Amino acid sequence: MSEMKIVNATGLACPHPVVLAKEAIEKNEKVKVIVDNETALENVTRMGTKMGCDVSKEARAGGVFEITLTRKPGATMPDVPVSCVASSPSAGPFVVVCSEDKMGRGNDELGAVLIRAFLHTLAEQAEKPDVMIFYNTGVKLTVQGAETLDDLKTLAAAGVEILVCGTCLNYFEVKDKLGVGVVSNMYDIVETLSRAGRLLSP
Amino acid sequence: MNGSPTHYVMLFKAVSYALKAEKILKSEAIPHKLIPVPKQISSDCGICLRFESNLRSSIERSIFDKVEFEEIQQLSN
Repeated sequence: MSEMKIVNATGLACPHPVVLAKEAIEKNEKVKVIVDNETALENVTRMGTKMGCDVSKEARAGGVFEITLTRKPGATMPDVPVSCVASSPSAGPFVVVCSEDKMGRGNDELGAVLIRAFLHTLAEQAEKPDVMIFYNTGVKLTVQGAETLDDLKTLAAAGVEILVCGTCLNYFEVKDKLGVGVVSNMYDIVETLSRAGRLLSP
Repeated sequence: MNGSPTHYVMLFKAVSYALKAEKILKSEAIPHKLIPVPKQISSDCGICLRFESNLRSSIERSIFDKVEFEEIQQLSN
């Protein structure tokens, strides 16, 4: 058993824990890094993996994590730049929220044009959202006769999940005119917003 | 789909012209779509009217003398 170097990085914010962990693993076969926040946990883990180490993690009481980095036999130490990402972009779905039938505030006629242009362009993007949520006047974009319906259908056909607020459809008395997506509720909406990796609102 | 139709875009001096033209096309039930000006045409944040090639003459007739437009371009698919 080789000796393990212990790096206490509690109380430190990124990029500090990553810098300390990197210095330690460059000089030692095995390093235990103690951090007390998720961002540090993710970034130290990512650095360790990139450096070609075996990485194991253990959660301790009080939001503390112990990350053990072990150099693989014969592994070269690539010079990995210290990176500090708030959270992994793949952590949750890419969600687009349309809370209005317009884009931006100030002029409604212009806002209506902009939201059409936005959805048209979104439908042409290679990277499409995982989920789109429509509430308040945003639901008017999803009903029959809406100028935006074709683009939303294109997005739905490409696998984008479209959630439309049922309370809102009801309020505007257009529930029977829904042209795309599924009637959803506040439970699904809150759950989806909460686990979103990226949230975009036009 | 058996090949997407050829589209043209009609470009205007200003957003308000495009909106005015759109109102006319809407009232005459001529199919069209208001889209952002494609990047390869202009990097300005503008909008234009897209329509299928076979509608070109009827659209030009409809807005003739009512709305001034800059030009019509064919869209590469």
